[in-house]
Amino acid sequence: MIVNVYLISVLFSVLFLFAIIELVLKNRLLEKYSLLWLLFGFILLVLSSTPFFMEKIARFFDIKYAPSVLFLLGMVYLIIYNLHITVVFSRQSQKITRLNQEIALLKEMMENLSKGNKSK
Amino acid sequence: MLLIITSKSCSPIAIRRWVNLDGPKVLVIIPAYNEERSIARVIADIKRVCAADITVIDDGSSDSTAARAASEGVTVISLPFNLGIGGAMQTGYIFARDRHYDIAVQVDGDGQHDPGYLDVLLGPVISGLCDMAIGSRFIEKTSYKSAISRRVGIAFFSWLVWILTGKRVKDPTSGFRAVNRKLIEYFSSSYPTDYPEVDVLVRLYKKDFKIREVPVEMKKRRDGISSITAFKSAYYMVKVSLAILINSMRSGELS
Repeated sequence: MIVNVYLISVLFSVLFLFAIIELVLKNRLLEKYSLLWLLFGFILLVLSSTPFFMEKIARFFDIKYAPSVLFLLGMVYLIIYNLHITVVFSRQSQKITRLNQEIALLKEMMENLSKGNKSK
Repeated sequence: MLLIITSKSCSPIAIRRWVNLDGPKVLVIIPAYNEERSIARVIADIKRVCAADITVIDDGSSDSTAARAASEGVTVISLPFNLGIGGAMQTGYIFARDRHYDIAVQVDGDGQHDPGYLDVLLGPVISGLCDMAIGSRFIEKTSYKSAISRRVGIAFFSWLVWILTGKRVKDPTSGFRAVNRKLIEYFSSSYPTDYPEVDVLVRLYKKDFKIREVPVEMKKRRDGISSITAFKSAYYMVKVSLAILINSMRSGELS
C-alpha cells in the first residue's frame, strides 16, 4: 500500500463525512448547513478514490501535478463556503437588529402598563 | 404644533387635518448614545418650544442616559445593546408608526440641533410641501463653524448625491430632519443601519419622495464627542460611499 496524497484524502474525506453526520445527529450542526459540507466530503471522496478522474481533469486544465487539483478544488470550495457563511451571518445580524428593536419597544410598553397599574 | 398649521396651512391636506383631526400628531425622536450630560437639556429645550411628544431612543448606553431622560418625563425606549444611529432611528420610526404619529422629527441627543428651528423644519412637512425636510447649515450664512475636513466630507457627499440623483443637497449629513407618515412607514420597514443620513437621501430620490432643505443653525456639540472622529472619518467616507453606490445599483425593494 502506497501512502500518497490520494490515500490521505480518502481517509480524510471518510472521517470528515462521519464527523459531519455525528455533528448533525448531536444537533450541533443544523441539517441545512450540513448539506454543503456533506457534498464537499462526498466529492473529495470520489475524486481521491479514483485518481483516473483526477488525472483527466489535471490534463484538461494543463495542471502538471494531478493531486494539486484536490488542493485547488478544496480552496475554491472554502472560498465559496466562506461567502455562504457571511451571507447567513448577514441575514442573522439583520434579524438580531430587528429583535433588539422589538425587545426595546416591548419593554417600553411593559413599563407603561405596570405604571398604569400602580396608579390605579 | 397648531401655531405652525395656522401659519402654513395653504395645502388642503393641512386644512383637513386642522378641521377634523385637531392637527397632526408629531413625535420628536431623540437618538442618544451615552449623552447623560446633554440629554436633559435637549429635552427641556424642546419642551420649551413645542408641545409634541418626545421619545428618547437610548441606544444601549452604558451611562445614565435612560434615567436622565426618564426623569424629564418623556418616553424612553432602551435598546438592549448598541445598534448605531440607523438602528436606533428605525426603532423610533417603528414606535411612531405603531402609535399612529403623522410626523416624526429627529433631534440629536448631543444638543447640536437647536429646537428653536423645529417649526421651520416642521412647516413644509405639515403643509404637505415635501415628504422630508432637512435642517441645513449651509443654505444661509450661519455662524456654524467646523473643521476643514468635515466641510470637505460634507461637500463630497453633496457631490455624490448630485452625481447619483441629479439633486442638490447642501447639507446631506444633517440629522436634523422631519418626515411625514409615508416616510415613517417606509423607514419602519427599510432604513440603513450604519450611517443612514446620506444613504437615505439617495434612496428617497430614487423613489421620488420630495425632499426640501430648510435653513437652520447648529451649535457646537455641548458635551461628548461626535460619532465621527478624525481617525474614523476616512473609513467612514469610504464605507458610506460604497454603501450608497451599491444601493444605487439595486433596483428592487431594499431590506
